[in-house]
Amino acid sequence: MEPVITMAVRILLVDDHPVVRQGLKTLLQGRPEWEVVGEASDGVEAIEKVNALQPDVVVLDVTMPRMNGIEACRLIQQKAPQREVLFVTQHDSPQMMREALAAGARGYVVKSNLARDLVEAVEAVSQHKEFTALARNTHVQS
Amino acid sequence: MKLRILLADDHEIVRRGLCALLQKREGWEVCGEASDGREAIEMAKRLKPDVVILDIGMPYLNGLDTTRQLLQYDPQFKIIVLTITDADQVIREALDAGARGFVLKSDAARDLVSAVEALQSKRMFFTPRVNDLVLRGFLDKGHAISRNEPPDLPTLTSREREVTQLLAEGKSSKEVASLLNLSTKTVETHRSNIMRKLSLHSIRDLVVYAIKNNIIQIQMPPQPTTTTETTMA
Repeated sequence: MEPVITMAVRILLVDDHPVVRQGLKTLLQGRPEWEVVGEASDGVEAIEKVNALQPDVVVLDVTMPRMNGIEACRLIQQKAPQREVLFVTQHDSPQMMREALAAGARGYVVKSNLARDLVEAVEAVSQHKEFTALARNTHVQS
Repeated sequence: MKLRILLADDHEIVRRGLCALLQKREGWEVCGEASDGREAIEMAKRLKPDVVILDIGMPYLNGLDTTRQLLQYDPQFKIIVLTITDADQVIREALDAGARGFVLKSDAARDLVSAVEALQSKRMFFTPRVNDLVLRGFLDKGHAISRNEPPDLPTLTSREREVTQLLAEGKSSKEVASLLNLSTKTVETHRSNIMRKLSLHSIRDLVVYAIKNNIIQIQMPPQPTTTTETTMA
């Protein structure tokens, strides 16, 4: 039997609502080896924090002021492709999901299912596996 | 004795965040969580919380109509509404409905604890912008909050507003009947009364009315980014 590897993961949380960031932190607390290294409230701040903090995983909202998540993801992937982006959004839409993946994201989960999907999604994308989950359809791919 | 709070928001992640905020306070407990207005009413009647926190944009029954129905049932309920918008009309409706606290979701991390404290000591709490509006309205005429008063519309009954929301959410008369424990015929009567009162001719008109009057809220796609000068180091 292979040993279970627990990996330290450094996470940046990006959402314009502090309450949602607080909720995300609460869900991630279940994994003590994971660390939320920073928070940002829009795409511009996200890019600054990615530069400064070098997180492994960026948990990114789509709809945000100043710069939306799709645009921020594109810029992050252009300059730092080793960072993995996981979208966390209210858009339960295959079209938006395709757009997110085309921008370079590794994962896409909808906000209504975060209690079910978030930990699994962070786990997958931190190991560079794709994780996509609309409300009724989950897909993990190595 | 613990202060018992009922929380209603359709997003579990938001409820998690709000719970974490509220439970940091010693002596406060979230005694129930609801994901829509109908569930909130059922839980409030059963649990009799000291404070009820309601999101405005919830499915089945929005937070404003939930506030109205709860206060009709028991005027002692202390209600804080949470909203993503501070549009004048929404503020006015929340005040009219009888909410005693009004907190913007974006400011909840800062304001929600203060709002609950205010209501606990029988005061009201409004996000600073609302305070300005209320004061301006008071100085201007005593009651008018906004200069942009909408034209007087025929008022819908509480039941008619509930039916309007469900129809605007895309439910059929049969589905509405089953949700509200009414006959399909009764729902159809409500529906034709609503259309007649509001001079609407189609479900499309009804959806537009529901959006304009904050009965339902729509999810907008992200706007293209205008900032172009930001680059990665």
